[in-house]
Amino acid sequence: MPLKALDIYKLLPRKNCKECGDPTCLTFAMKLAAGKADIELCPYLDENAKSVLGATTRPPIRRVKLGVGERSFAVGEEFVLYRHDKTFYHPPGIMFVVSDTQSEEEITAITARVRDETLTRVGADLKFNGTAIVNTSGTIEAYAKAVAAVEKTAGLPEVLVSENPAALAAALVLCGSYHPTICAATPENYKQICALAKQYACRLVVRASTLEALVQLAKDCVAEGVPDILLDPGAKTLGDFLYRSTAVRQLAITRAVPDLGYPVYLDATTFEDEDAAIALGIVKYASVIVAKPLSPASAKAALTLRQNIYTDPQKPIQMNPGIYRVGTPGKDAPVLMTVNFSLTYFTLQGYLESTRIPCFMLIVDTEGLSVLTSVAAGKLNESLVRDAIKKFGVEGEVNHRKLIIPGYAAPLSGRIEEATGWKVLVGPRDAAEIGEYLVQEWKP
Amino acid sequence: MIPDPNFGWTGTVGEVILGATRSEGGTRSRSYRIGGGTTLPFMEKDTAARPPLIAFEICDDPRYWSPIVNEYCGDLIHDPAAWAKTAETAYGADLVRLCLTSTKQRDFSDIATLGKTTESVLTGTALPLIIEGSNEPKIDSEVFQKCGETGQGERLLLGTAEAGRYRSIAAAALAYNHAIIAQSPIDINLAKQLNILLKEIGISRDHIVIDPYTGALGYGFEYTYSAMERIRFSALKGDTDLAMPMICAPSDSLTIKEVREADAGSRDAMAVEWEFTTSLAAAVAGAEIVCVRHPLTVKRLKEAFYGLNTRTGGA
Ligand code: B12
Ligand code: SF4
Repeated sequence: MPLKALDIYKLLPRKNCKECGDPTCLTFAMKLAAGKADIELCPYLDENAKSVLGATTRPPIRRVKLGVGERSFAVGEEFVLYRHDKTFYHPPGIMFVVSDTQSEEEITAITARVRDETLTRVGADLKFNGTAIVNTSGTIEAYAKAVAAVEKTAGLPEVLVSENPAALAAALVLCGSYHPTICAATPENYKQICALAKQYACRLVVRASTLEALVQLAKDCVAEGVPDILLDPGAKTLGDFLYRSTAVRQLAITRAVPDLGYPVYLDATTFEDEDAAIALGIVKYASVIVAKPLSPASAKAALTLRQNIYTDPQKPIQMNPGIYRVGTPGKDAPVLMTVNFSLTYFTLQGYLESTRIPCFMLIVDTEGLSVLTSVAAGKLNESLVRDAIKKFGVEGEVNHRKLIIPGYAAPLSGRIEEATGWKVLVGPRDAAEIGEYLVQEWKP
Repeated sequence: MIPDPNFGWTGTVGEVILGATRSEGGTRSRSYRIGGGTTLPFMEKDTAARPPLIAFEICDDPRYWSPIVNEYCGDLIHDPAAWAKTAETAYGADLVRLCLTSTKQRDFSDIATLGKTTESVLTGTALPLIIEGSNEPKIDSEVFQKCGETGQGERLLLGTAEAGRYRSIAAAALAYNHAIIAQSPIDINLAKQLNILLKEIGISRDHIVIDPYTGALGYGFEYTYSAMERIRFSALKGDTDLAMPMICAPSDSLTIKEVREADAGSRDAMAVEWEFTTSLAAAVAGAEIVCVRHPLTVKRLKEAFYGLNTRTGGA
């Protein structure tokens, strides 16, 4: 049972010394209760308080940060099994594999792709997150060279994939201060690997093919002084992954097996259909997914699925209502009305930009609902449009009084005309046809 | 010992039978019993659990179909019977879903031809069929009556009942013992309400497949994903008005911007990727029938479902 803030407060030193970063012990207690702080931050806790609080206040899944700087990302700190119960907070990092048997040019090209490739969807810039450098050659020199090539190209989070401590040591000399992730510690090699991970403050993937062995290994690695762990459940099939990853999440968030409270790692390259593994990892709780560089179609689908699943179900991605410009519209430019659902806004805006006809977009507040949805729900209506025209001063922007509305809002055209006094033109249903429509129909 | 993940569920997803073999009074080469789940999808103890079914969608008027699919399938698109046969023998589908797109024509009234098309598809393939009927409320009654009658004994799955529009389809299902698809716009409460309406006019639970409506990947899929999870969850918690198997039809996947705007060389790949990703994620959320339109999607889904139903060693 999670403790309430007041119960926690009773166990704190009540010095209000601020050393934990909070102004009072009570605010610190509130954060602990919400799973948003770590008890380690208070230096004055007695052993009893530590043991009581430790088990119940830390987030059920440890937060682990990969890499440093702008492109670093945190995973873990999740609380639910279903996104509709709250939301999923930390989207999985997708890392592209490079191998030390590839040429320096190839390695550089893949790394540069991860650095630069951006898919802009619904106003967000979606990117891949880092590289996983594999010691395929088995030799130390080749591995160090590959890591050097990656380092030279970008400051991205890295996973060092090798079970050879000597190769890892050579790589860590080059990138050890950037919090790389070592992959992987196994029951056989963990002592040596942990020594390296500890020396360089690395994150560590632990791999075992039963949850029993994973728990044991995680405990062993923590005991060796490496707390930032990712669990690789060693899945051989998609079914293995789904079952084990779900079990880890469920047993961790219910605190039935607290030692499973770490983010999950998925090596998608070992699956016949890598895209299937990636999709499964995204929906079923993977936090780091390693994949071969994806084809354009696979890349778009993976980034889009990740964006969808990690959208907060309580609030659709919305725009601020208002008047927006495309190009530099003049006094006789067309005014197009639409809703404040981001997907709708960006879809329409994209097509308008490609028409090269400067215009105004009047975005009305449908609480983030799309055109069809808001018409069906009665959220889009004539008074909303009338008030928006007034509120955003559209009458001062243009000389004409003509408003183009979405084709799907056609049933409202008469009422909008009456309420606003503007002449309403019903545009096409599909925004892709807006260019043709404007060319043929628009006269101020 | 690590405990099995324990969800404490008491309910079961109800079962629906699709298709009828000769011994069951029809002419299909096999029939399916879908549903029966007792936990989250692919988490059953018995790893030989049934994989989701893959329905390949065809139509009787390709003017209303994706040009990508039309191009890929070639002349087949003008011959629904041959197309259905190819879906069975070459594409590897489990079901064929015949969409009567000809009803989209203005003032359509050629009901007799719909009967003939249905008949020819029933001859073309021995797989169980889904018939996706009328596009116009005014002709619902005649269309569903005709399809229902033509498929008598075959245990068709008829689509699609909606809250404001379910009487004609229900009447045909009742008269000829077919199952029906009940669609609601991505809302668990509306799904439940519709099932109750159907129950009240005599459609039993084991004749209903829920379609929670599929927003395509990037175009509302997150809502669909959660609606499906919630429906499955309610079924497992014991709500019998939601304890029916689900169907996912991500047909919007082929009309989205990413697919339409892909260049000629990568259009097929993009279309398949979008259908595949949407269907796979929907199956993980609880869909037990996924409907696709691109032939290449079928095989990939089949292999992925096989992989999902295979577990090595213990948990
Ligand atoms: C995801 C979704 C939802 C989500 C909400 C998503 C959101 N933020 O809006 C949820 C699950 C919450 C939802 C709820 C409902 N939904 Co809904 N939903 C959808 C779905 C699957 C996708 C909507 C979407 O994102 N479209 C993409 C955006 C970009 O489309 P758009 O805004 O229309 O924009 C396009 C055009 O309109 C045009 N355009 C936009 N602006 C402009 C401007 C100009 C000037 C021009 C020319 C063109 C133009 O360009 C865009 C691209 O072409 C659609 C089905 C579908 N395929 O559309 C059903 C759909 C819209 N929903 C529907 C319904 C009925 C509802 C509900 C009313 C159900 C209910 N009774 O509760 C509720 C209402 C919500 C409420 N009560 O609060 C029906 C509408 C039926 C109808 N024809 O009227 C649909 C069509 C599903 C169906 N077939 O039954 N829904
Ligand atoms: S550091 Fe400890 S004692 Fe000091 S204010 Fe924070 S909780 Fe209280």
